[in-house]
Amino acid sequence: MLNINRLILIMIFLVVFDFFIWGLIVFEPINKNLELYFLDVGQGDSELVILPNGPKVLIDGGPNNKVINELASVLRPTDRYLDLIVLSHPQTDHFTGLIDVLKRYQIGAFIFNGRSATADSWSALSKVIQENKIPVVILAGGDKIHYLDSQFNFLLPDKNFIESSDLNETAFVSLLQSQNSKILFTGDIDTKTEDYLMRKYDLDVDVLKVAHHGSKLSSSEKFLSNISPKIAVIEVGKNSYGHPTAEVLKNLASAGAQIFRTDKDGMVKLVIGGQGINIFKKK
Amino acid sequence: MRIYDIAFYVAGFFILGVLAASSGSNFAVIMTATILLVAIFLLIGYLRKIPKIFWLTSLSLFIIIGAFYYFWWSNYQINNLKIVFNEKINFQGMVVKNPEQGSQQKLVIELQPPYAGKILIKLQSYPSFDYGDLINFEGVIKMPGPADYTNYLAKDGVFGTADYPKTQLIAKNQGSTVKSSLFKLKKGLISNFQKTLSAEKSAFLSGITLGERTEFSQEFKDAMSKSGTTHLVALSGYNISVIVLAVFVFLNYFLPRRLTFILTILAIFGFVLMTGAEASVVRAAIMGFIALLASQVGRLYSVRNAIVLAAFFMVLLNPRVLYFDIGFQLSFAALLGIVYLSPAIQKFFKMKEEEGFLGWRKNFLTTTSAQLGVAPLLIINFNQFSLTALLANVLILEVIPPTMFLGFLLGTIGFFSTVLAVILGWFTNLFLVYESTLINIFAKISLPITKIGISGIIIYYLIMVGFIVYNCRDVKH
Repeated sequence: MLNINRLILIMIFLVVFDFFIWGLIVFEPINKNLELYFLDVGQGDSELVILPNGPKVLIDGGPNNKVINELASVLRPTDRYLDLIVLSHPQTDHFTGLIDVLKRYQIGAFIFNGRSATADSWSALSKVIQENKIPVVILAGGDKIHYLDSQFNFLLPDKNFIESSDLNETAFVSLLQSQNSKILFTGDIDTKTEDYLMRKYDLDVDVLKVAHHGSKLSSSEKFLSNISPKIAVIEVGKNSYGHPTAEVLKNLASAGAQIFRTDKDGMVKLVIGGQGINIFKKK
Repeated sequence: MRIYDIAFYVAGFFILGVLAASSGSNFAVIMTATILLVAIFLLIGYLRKIPKIFWLTSLSLFIIIGAFYYFWWSNYQINNLKIVFNEKINFQGMVVKNPEQGSQQKLVIELQPPYAGKILIKLQSYPSFDYGDLINFEGVIKMPGPADYTNYLAKDGVFGTADYPKTQLIAKNQGSTVKSSLFKLKKGLISNFQKTLSAEKSAFLSGITLGERTEFSQEFKDAMSKSGTTHLVALSGYNISVIVLAVFVFLNYFLPRRLTFILTILAIFGFVLMTGAEASVVRAAIMGFIALLASQVGRLYSVRNAIVLAAFFMVLLNPRVLYFDIGFQLSFAALLGIVYLSPAIQKFFKMKEEEGFLGWRKNFLTTTSAQLGVAPLLIINFNQFSLTALLANVLILEVIPPTMFLGFLLGTIGFFSTVLAVILGWFTNLFLVYESTLINIFAKISLPITKIGISGIIIYYLIMVGFIVYNCRDVKH
């Protein structure tokens, strides 16, 4: 059965495979920069953060399985591991896509605010977490995650918001500090929460994930001028709510922010290093 | 007339009758045409004194039986429906097919009393349902709409659709236990692909090994269709014959030939069930088997009967497939091409018998003849036939068997160790990258032919038959 042709073929495969493995080891890119990806998942939120030296944190998963293709376009095909998944708050346009992510990737830990959703698909999410034995961590305002020089500070929700009947108010607001830059993730918080945030913390950020897909209920002029983002990214798709509203766009512009939006720009990638911020967009 | 000739003509005329009925002719027209045919046969028989013609005369009455069968069958099916359309109602249904789960969910359900019949339900992707789930729905059942779509669904016995009704699960595991567990196995295999490969590659591998196409992106579907490679992921007879051969060769190392043969058939049977035992896969299994038989036995004569009888039984089970199921037509055209055209081409070009490096010569012959067999059908149905498809297929088909092998191995190992499966996944990925790169390249350099009339098709096939008859005139018998 084993003729010369087959033997040659097997040899070629072995050599290629060998090179491939060594390639993985030798050319493993060690990124010194912070990379932020605002994934184009339609009307919903999903952001991938790759910290300096490699840990990957996925914040939210969008409303459908588009996130899978977005992740595949960022990560190497051999990379099947995500360190952390953070769900800002349990609404379908933030967690549905995570179900598929949890099915396909190995996950270090799943972090959420402890509230469960009323939507039917929530049980599908809990089932996948249980089946794949993924560790679950509940965090709240005041908690921190450190990795080398980078840290995530969870600012909200604190006890005033976590039990709110409006799930948007229970969303994580987290401040990422890395590479001398500050990035604020705001989930779907409204102006009431923004006011509270301003009273409690003195914030001045470089990059803002605009709250609630640019809804008129968030991103007040006062809040934006207070935190003065240089770059603002709106995660938004086709919708019937009028997101992002003209008012929010105006407020962002008058706060001096350069605006990007995933419906027009596609996936938005920010590379933050010692030299400043490089911006890439897909469309 | 010999018995196998009688069987051939009975089946052939019956199929002709079904074809006439399903293409829209009414019963009276078919009767008249058949009687006219009988008269012509009788006349020729009388003038030329050929006894065989008298046989043909009596057997041609099977055209009428075929037509009658079609009308009776579709009436029977429609009389058994009990569906209330265009009203908001509460209804219960059991999922009777393995659900399609991509960016949305598609369920085929069997309605429970007081209603009866099968309908197609579209839902959000979550919560997800399984085969055998009994569900309570609240919503509106609609008629499928355009005639094309109505016929397309009707061939599977589906006569209504409901978009995004409210759902509530009543009970699980109400279906057949064997099917349920085979579907679970399939789901497990696919999930193992998804854990080890990127989204596009895992979808592609699921297609190649299990015929599962729900996760394909529109771009990739388009690329496959443009490059003429869609059949790779459709569980065609080709994929099945690869599995048949692999199982056969493997078992034949240890076991006597007869036992190997029986076990191979059992393995295929299980595989067909696992992929849903849907008409298309059953057909592919039979087709793959016949193609294999043809290459082993080498007698065109018995293969002729095998093909016609296979078609006859499939039409008997569901007479709608003949006219409304493009897949049915494609697979028969491809099979006829492989069985009849490839020896003619081989003879015409005086090609050697050896298979060549990695069997390229055999692949080339098989692909060419299958592609030429289906070309007109592809053009009228999809406006899609690329002249470069031949090259694409020959280049890709070389590596499909090892890809399938690695795929099944990967899927199986995934149940025991994700780490091992991931490593095997790197290997598999090399093949998948090769294949998908070629598909994308050939989609860009496709040379499409998009227009061909009915007369064009008839001329095309007449030329083909002439070519075959000319080249095989001393091969027959």
